[in-house]
Amino acid sequence: MKIKNKFQYIAKPVKVFMTVLIILLAVSIVQGIFIEIERSYTRKNQYKAEEKPEANLSQEEQRQERIRRSLKEFLPDGTIHLIDRVEHISGRRDKVQIYDTNDNLLWEGQSDKKPYEYLSWAEQLRSDFSQQDMKRTQAITPGFSRYIEIPVGLEGSIEQIWRYHPGAQYFKGYDTRGGEIGYIGSNGFTESKSKASAFGKFRQFTAWCPADSFNPILLLQTQKSIYQINFEKKDVELLFESTDTDIRMIRLHAWRSLSPDAEEYIDRQKYRPLIQIQTNDRKQHLILQEPKEQFSFNLRSPSFSATKQAIFVRNYGSDMPPVPDIKSSEKVIEKWTEEVQKKSWNMWTELYKVNNQGNLELVNRYNYTSSPVSGPAAKNRDPRPAGQRYVSQFSPLMYDLFIRYVAIRFWPRPFGYGSGNDFFYDLVLIIDYIRPHSSIINRILSALMMVYVFWHGWPRRTSWGGFVFWLIFTGLLNIAGLLTYLALNHTAVIKCPVCGRRRGLAQVNCVRCKTQLPAPERGKLDLIFSA
Amino acid sequence: MRFSSLLKKELRECLPWMLLAAIVFIAVTSVLLRIETYNENNDYRYSRFSPGTVISNSHYNLTNYPTMNEIGPWLFVLSVGLGLVLGIRQFWIPNFTRTWPFLIHRSVSRITILAAKLTATSMAFVISIVPIWIGIYWYVTRPEVFTVPPPLRFFIEGWIFIILGFVTYLGTALSGLSTAKWYTTKIFGLAFAAVVMLTTFSQWSLVWIFTVIAVSTAILLSQIFQTFLRREF
Repeated sequence: MKIKNKFQYIAKPVKVFMTVLIILLAVSIVQGIFIEIERSYTRKNQYKAEEKPEANLSQEEQRQERIRRSLKEFLPDGTIHLIDRVEHISGRRDKVQIYDTNDNLLWEGQSDKKPYEYLSWAEQLRSDFSQQDMKRTQAITPGFSRYIEIPVGLEGSIEQIWRYHPGAQYFKGYDTRGGEIGYIGSNGFTESKSKASAFGKFRQFTAWCPADSFNPILLLQTQKSIYQINFEKKDVELLFESTDTDIRMIRLHAWRSLSPDAEEYIDRQKYRPLIQIQTNDRKQHLILQEPKEQFSFNLRSPSFSATKQAIFVRNYGSDMPPVPDIKSSEKVIEKWTEEVQKKSWNMWTELYKVNNQGNLELVNRYNYTSSPVSGPAAKNRDPRPAGQRYVSQFSPLMYDLFIRYVAIRFWPRPFGYGSGNDFFYDLVLIIDYIRPHSSIINRILSALMMVYVFWHGWPRRTSWGGFVFWLIFTGLLNIAGLLTYLALNHTAVIKCPVCGRRRGLAQVNCVRCKTQLPAPERGKLDLIFSA
Repeated sequence: MRFSSLLKKELRECLPWMLLAAIVFIAVTSVLLRIETYNENNDYRYSRFSPGTVISNSHYNLTNYPTMNEIGPWLFVLSVGLGLVLGIRQFWIPNFTRTWPFLIHRSVSRITILAAKLTATSMAFVISIVPIWIGIYWYVTRPEVFTVPPPLRFFIEGWIFIILGFVTYLGTALSGLSTAKWYTTKIFGLAFAAVVMLTTFSQWSLVWIFTVIAVSTAILLSQIFQTFLRREF
């Protein structure tokens, strides 16, 4: 077999792949442009439509709705107050109403002037450097990728720079006057590379300067451990290590010693430093300082707070059916949503105290009910904006199949936690955004395109395999499939001199009457020219 | 013998562009190196933090580009530019000057002609950009030059820019060889090279980057061979 014939077996499918990839991308860009145009014109109306008209609710329903959406806050003695945001004033200031559990209005006014001091709770890190940030940092740009570098020095000058090496998972120190200082790894400071141990797979960190220093301290969370690193003292403290499962999430409260004017300041005269750690086995671990203590609890989604007098646990609960697994099929999730929306459910907020043995003692509990969702919101099965709905009619049916049978099973993370500079996860999210969601109109359009391909391809067909392939291809890929087909198969047709019907020129025999293309008649000079 | 003659011919045609790329790269590098070493001595790179505050990472306060990072856009543009120019020189100009039949209808196989073109371009990249890039990395990682020398990944990323230049060349070549109209699929080779670049710049894993580049190079090469061997000139 000649080399050019060998190449066609690779080159033909590769050409189809390349063409469809570019056309899919072009179609997605056009779809994106339409969605954004529609969104920019209808944003205001969309917000209005989403707001539930409270005027349609009865007085009792309005009261229930207010209770449901109110913040349930605790005073240090366990008293529960319900805080309802009436209107937004500016910045973080709102006009609020504070009720007691008997629905008596206790106070009304600006949120920053309220006369009660409620317990504050451990919160997820707001200004952390997450795994997504790490990926974003490592993403290659025309100016190369970035590196985490921790400067250490006095007020006026930087004396050391500690660079994190994501591959080796340790910090390497450089002296600004020249030379290397050493390495900081999970086993602390070492001068040689061979002795430095890796911290483990990076998850996130938060950095702060203590009130008496210009040099950052890092709270570093890896897959299974939490370290506190003081670069100035070259000191590494292992705060927590999970032997079995990975760490899922951490929350801090008063852990960082900040100045009172700092944004995330918590008064350490009132509260003990605390880290709440949730592991993948749903266990909650509590690490406290002043004095050092550690507890573990089996609670689903609690928040912790530790004053100088007691350790508190706030827990929310309801008798709703549990949220289906993220890998569940769309039907299961739809069924769950419908069930949750159509009934009212009992909900509660509890406050516990941790006793000396590390057990929980109930201090107070508040019960309330959620109201069912009425009207179109409960019945609307495709709540996507109109522009997105219309544009997705031209998306490939394959997107639906891909999300349903591949992405949810093998890449569930983007749906659960979002992504961030991760090409494949972002791609899955885009596909999910513009997929047709089993729309009938999309199926009809695909069918019409298949009919067109049939009409166009019948006189041009060279093999049955190829003809059927292009029909299925168009059916699966909708407009992108049709455009790819036309780009790669549009050959000229002539009227067959025997049967008079249309036939392509890509093969010798007429597809209708099987007659060969007529050869030109021999001329007198053919012998000379062919020689 | 025929191959080496063709290679010499292709190299002769590449020579002005090779020299131009090398001269520009050397000139830009010298200026940037001077600026970087001056700035490094003035300690401008690292921001100071206030005591008692959380270091917000919303602006990536604790991250820095490596020293000499300004050379990246130049290396990228020069590589892509060289790929584009050589692709046009080898596969578009013969269309305009109608010299394809003159080259093809010799007693030499088409695969030899194509191999000579591809080898000449590879050599053009290796001669004009690669040694300078290796030299720069060797110089900037010497202990006395910068306080925090660029890591090995900096060097590898430079190689990625150079390879992307070669991918651009392949895309240009495929577009040049295509017999389709310019408003249909003729520019798909170039469009594909652009998609490869976009994909590369949205990756953080070097393994994925090299996988994407390897697969796309194979896609472009197979089509270039197929088109060049079967096309009528």
